Amino acid sequence: MVEQKKADINSKSGAIVVVGGGISGIQSALDAANSGFKVYLVEERPSIGGVMAQLDKTFPTNDCSTCMLSPKLIEVSKNPNIEIISYAEIQDVVGSPGDFRVTVRKKARYVDAQKCIGCGICASKCPKKVADEFNQRLGKRKAIYLTFAQAIPPIYTIDRENCLYFKKGRCRACEKFCPNKAIDFEQQDETIEVEAGAVILAPGFETFDARLKGEYGYGRHANVLTSLDYERILSAGGPFSGHIQRPSDGRKPRKIAWIQCVGSRDATVGCEYCSSVCCMYATKQALISRDHDREIETAIFYIDIRAQGKGFDRYYERARSEGGVRYIRSMVSRVVENPQDKTLEITYVGDPGQIRVESFDLVVLSVGLRPSLAAKNLAKRLDIELNEFGFCQTRPLDVVSTSREGIFVSGAFQGPKDIPNTVIQASSAAGAAGALLADVRGTMIKEKVYPKERQVAGQQPRIGVFVCHCGSNIAGVIDVKAVAESARSLPYVVFATDYLFSCSTDSQNEIKKAIEDHELNRIVVASCSPRTHEALFQETLREAGLNRYLFEMANIRDQNSWVHVANGQDATEKAKDLVRMSVARATRLKPLLDMSFEVIPKALVVGGGVAGLTAALALAENGYQTCLVEKSEELGGNTRFIHYTEDGARPAEYMRELIQKVKGDPLITVYTRANILDYSGHVGNFSSTISVDGEKRSVSYGAAIIAMGGEVYKPQEYLYGQDDRVLTQREFEQRLAAGRNELENVKNVVMIQCVGSREEGHPYCSRICCTDAIKNSRKFKELNPAANVYILFRDMRTFGFREVYYKRAREEGIRFIRYEPERKPHVVEENGKLKINIYDQNLGTEIGLEADCLVLSTAIRPYPDSRKLADIFKLPLDQDGFFMEAHLKLRPLDFANAGFFLCGIVHGPKFVDESIAQAKGAVSRACTILSRRQMFIGGALAHVDEARCILCLTCVRTCPYEVPKMAEEKWAIVIDAAACQGCGNCASACPRGAITVDHNTDEQYIAQISALYKLSAVAG
Amino acid sequence: MIVAERKPIQEILSMISGLRKILILGCKGCVTVCSAGSEREVMILATIIRMGRKKKDEPIELVERTLVRQCDPEFIDQLSDSIGQFDAVLSMACGVGVNFLADRYPKTIALPAVNTKFYGVAEEQGVWSERCAGCGDCILNLTGGLCPVARCSKGLFNGPCGGSVNGKCEINPDINCVWQLIYDRLKGLNQLDKLDEILPVKDWGVSSHGGPRKIVREDLKI
Repeated sequence: MVEQKKADINSKSGAIVVVGGGISGIQSALDAANSGFKVYLVEERPSIGGVMAQLDKTFPTNDCSTCMLSPKLIEVSKNPNIEIISYAEIQDVVGSPGDFRVTVRKKARYVDAQKCIGCGICASKCPKKVADEFNQRLGKRKAIYLTFAQAIPPIYTIDRENCLYFKKGRCRACEKFCPNKAIDFEQQDETIEVEAGAVILAPGFETFDARLKGEYGYGRHANVLTSLDYERILSAGGPFSGHIQRPSDGRKPRKIAWIQCVGSRDATVGCEYCSSVCCMYATKQALISRDHDREIETAIFYIDIRAQGKGFDRYYERARSEGGVRYIRSMVSRVVENPQDKTLEITYVGDPGQIRVESFDLVVLSVGLRPSLAAKNLAKRLDIELNEFGFCQTRPLDVVSTSREGIFVSGAFQGPKDIPNTVIQASSAAGAAGALLADVRGTMIKEKVYPKERQVAGQQPRIGVFVCHCGSNIAGVIDVKAVAESARSLPYVVFATDYLFSCSTDSQNEIKKAIEDHELNRIVVASCSPRTHEALFQETLREAGLNRYLFEMANIRDQNSWVHVANGQDATEKAKDLVRMSVARATRLKPLLDMSFEVIPKALVVGGGVAGLTAALALAENGYQTCLVEKSEELGGNTRFIHYTEDGARPAEYMRELIQKVKGDPLITVYTRANILDYSGHVGNFSSTISVDGEKRSVSYGAAIIAMGGEVYKPQEYLYGQDDRVLTQREFEQRLAAGRNELENVKNVVMIQCVGSREEGHPYCSRICCTDAIKNSRKFKELNPAANVYILFRDMRTFGFREVYYKRAREEGIRFIRYEPERKPHVVEENGKLKINIYDQNLGTEIGLEADCLVLSTAIRPYPDSRKLADIFKLPLDQDGFFMEAHLKLRPLDFANAGFFLCGIVHGPKFVDESIAQAKGAVSRACTILSRRQMFIGGALAHVDEARCILCLTCVRTCPYEVPKMAEEKWAIVIDAAACQGCGNCASACPRGAITVDHNTDEQYIAQISALYKLSAVAG
Repeated sequence: MIVAERKPIQEILSMISGLRKILILGCKGCVTVCSAGSEREVMILATIIRMGRKKKDEPIELVERTLVRQCDPEFIDQLSDSIGQFDAVLSMACGVGVNFLADRYPKTIALPAVNTKFYGVAEEQGVWSERCAGCGDCILNLTGGLCPVARCSKGLFNGPCGGSVNGKCEINPDINCVWQLIYDRLKGLNQLDKLDEILPVKDWGVSSHGGPRKIVREDLKI
């Protein structure tokens, strides 16, 4: 494809196409849409969610995957600037950066997306059962199906391959029973074209096909599963409803084994790379299995345990100790099935070098991550370069840019990675696309105009009640008409009716008309769950000129008809109770006002290392003035000392250029020898005093990025500082970079890993040291081919494609000797010689090594003054002193305190390319604030009754956002409306009941509860 | 502040067994700040009592009220009009409040709903600990501001004793040895020489050993 010359601004498009609806695509879509771009989210499958939707729990917090993902799915579906095009694939992308035309083929669902209301009657009537891919074929679905219960969009799809009508020409049961005539057997595939300024590829991964490792018997032995199969077995929504059982006989397994590196670190199947996540997910699965049933024995067979992420080592150590998970460092050559009881025999080499045979009831293969064929074909069509393993090739130090300008990549398609790194990269890709299209930001997004809100203050409540049949979902059990009838007799109810589907467009219009005709000022809808539908009805109220807080919902489906299917009469009575409660609450509802303020479109960046400088430059590219504060005299941080990387990048050179760019950018103000002294304000509107060389200045900003970096641990151990021949890895690199001469006479180099990492007091992995040791030892070998290099390690953690360099190092003759923390290497100086004694696990004996140079791979530590900065901004630190993000898994770039973001080593040890990606990601997150002209404060917030407040400080201590402040002049607590998140913690804790949260007042709840017992409300 | 803790509900229920009409009386002073006897605690206690009595089929009439303080006559006297109608007053104030009720209303049963624990601080939300024993003769100037009367398990004046191990008290390894704290603090303040002085035997006569105490300030009396 020939690139056209760069489009001018007039032809640029303010839209972005995101390809892939997994967590990566979802995050990119949300960031782009929230920072002023129209997004087309194109997903191959019928619904978004990707592999994350299939996972049970996630490491290292054991959070439920669905519980974390579902709100994101709903956020996507509610965002007016995201158009989900699911069950579709990208055919072609033509044009130039800023001005692409993207061809999308939408596959026929045979269901009219406009008409389908997701009631599921079709699937219940469909006679054809099919193996369910979402449940890894361990369960069944119907030929017309929804991928999973929480699927977005909630539209059913007919699987043409299995549909009886398409195969045999008869059935059409779905068509017959569909209450909304949504089935359309005549539907055809459709090709559409959209204009977009940039494309983000996030097609994700597929798991390695375990059948290719025939020796493990997957596909032949019923009780050999892949790890993704096992996720579904663990899941409460899975084929066995969360009961762990053997597929062969449904029995509870007593012993389960995991075999690691199936399709990873394995040249025989073309996957020499490490898949990065399997050690952790196997650990998680073993822990969760034991949570399900304490009697289950678990064993993990592994090569190295790679727990290189934040909080991972603690998790792994916990699994080993209290978790009771057995780790066996041995690769398994085969799995043999006992034909009688279908148990599985594993032969392995145990300590100390003995062959052992052990049988297990279930074997889980920790399958690696691979790019999918569809993704590789897509790349071919779009003329995107792939690497040797078929993943998307990116530039060194720039992990989101593909070989084609204007097309970005994120997630596992760029390389195997865990969810937090995927989210970081997804934000980063959105940020890069946003920077490309900064001048057309806001040109394609919709801003809805609402009629002026009707004043209802002082009016008597006039309540309208709308009871929903939800097809037969509710009406099949509950007498809906009787519920509406009983509602009519309730106090203040002036109108009540029932609809087949309250959420359908025509019902919405009828509700609006009823509001006008009957001058309704409170609305109660009795239907499904507010989780999915509250926002829709609130929108209808706004369109009809009513404040959205004048709405109340009674859940008579999920919490009634669905659970009382067999008892319609009682369910009807319960529905009447629920409606009566909602009506009582509605009488007490008050309109709440949202007040607007101007966002300051400027950013503050703290830290002048690679993360801070990248962030500042990216902010400037996005068009925002930025103030960068660096405490030392010079910019550049640690990256100045990183001369090369294992994959050929030159960070120190890159840094010199970056500093020039930042210094030359008119939008960036750099303050060196500067410190933050204080901060005040709220998201979108902050101000701080900075001391620059002792002189005070004040800055105002809408968002802040914390990127103050970290430092290399100066070791106390192994004769460092006492013997000149003992160096840190960084010092060794400086000598290598200086040229060959300095190390010419060095014939023996010994490196010791984990110096200051993974030990008491600092129980975390510093992530980069294994790769640094490989990088520097290979460089040294290149300069001195005859020299010997020994690397003394605990687990080599060369995750991802770094594994390839580890393999090369071994091929090049670098020797690796493993040690256990209980038997650390011992370094002595004897007769002027540096001697290292170490217990060799393979030989089973102590060996002595002589070194001309001992290199210590030292830990990365947070700066001691992180605490000071954290205190000033009221930001949390984790147990290790790094800054604590809002959520380890899904919010790795945000702080819980709105308007603050983080990137680089403040978050935890990381590589230069990762810091750069995270910095761009943090900017993308910051842009979701800075790009708004105005923000709103208000809604359901906490208020203090100052007359009642006695300054007991309970709220100050309870608030997770540190919002309540003491106003001594008032002798009371004040809560800043702009900062309050409305969570209600303070209100429930206040011993004097002096705090109320709007829309959740005692009065409203008491009215509701009193209505249940038909008492007159005694609200205080 | 005075730190208190609500008594176990069974104890309160047996205390009021047979009584028909009770005033539950909160206090907006210390016990509100330490969440033992605030309006909210009054409401919660009343709800639990109602439920407990209803379960036994012995309904009870409860009135909830919270005074600004229960240690001043002006506030306690606010009850004078209504107190006659109650079988008893269940006070959620510290022991001072219960005493004062008993003093002022000889014909009313005054009952304690909380255990008054100590004079202390809020270490964090939900955690309080003792700092002062009200011994009547303060020596904190000699001990770096840390009180051996309140915080040494033995109340030693020239500690520590032999039971101080790694800075912890032999009574309980969760308790810091205050004499270790005193030593560390004085060292930090460069005032270790203060420990050279042997503290004399304390006059416990000004503490509770000398009988109930009283302060009369002639300058303030009217």
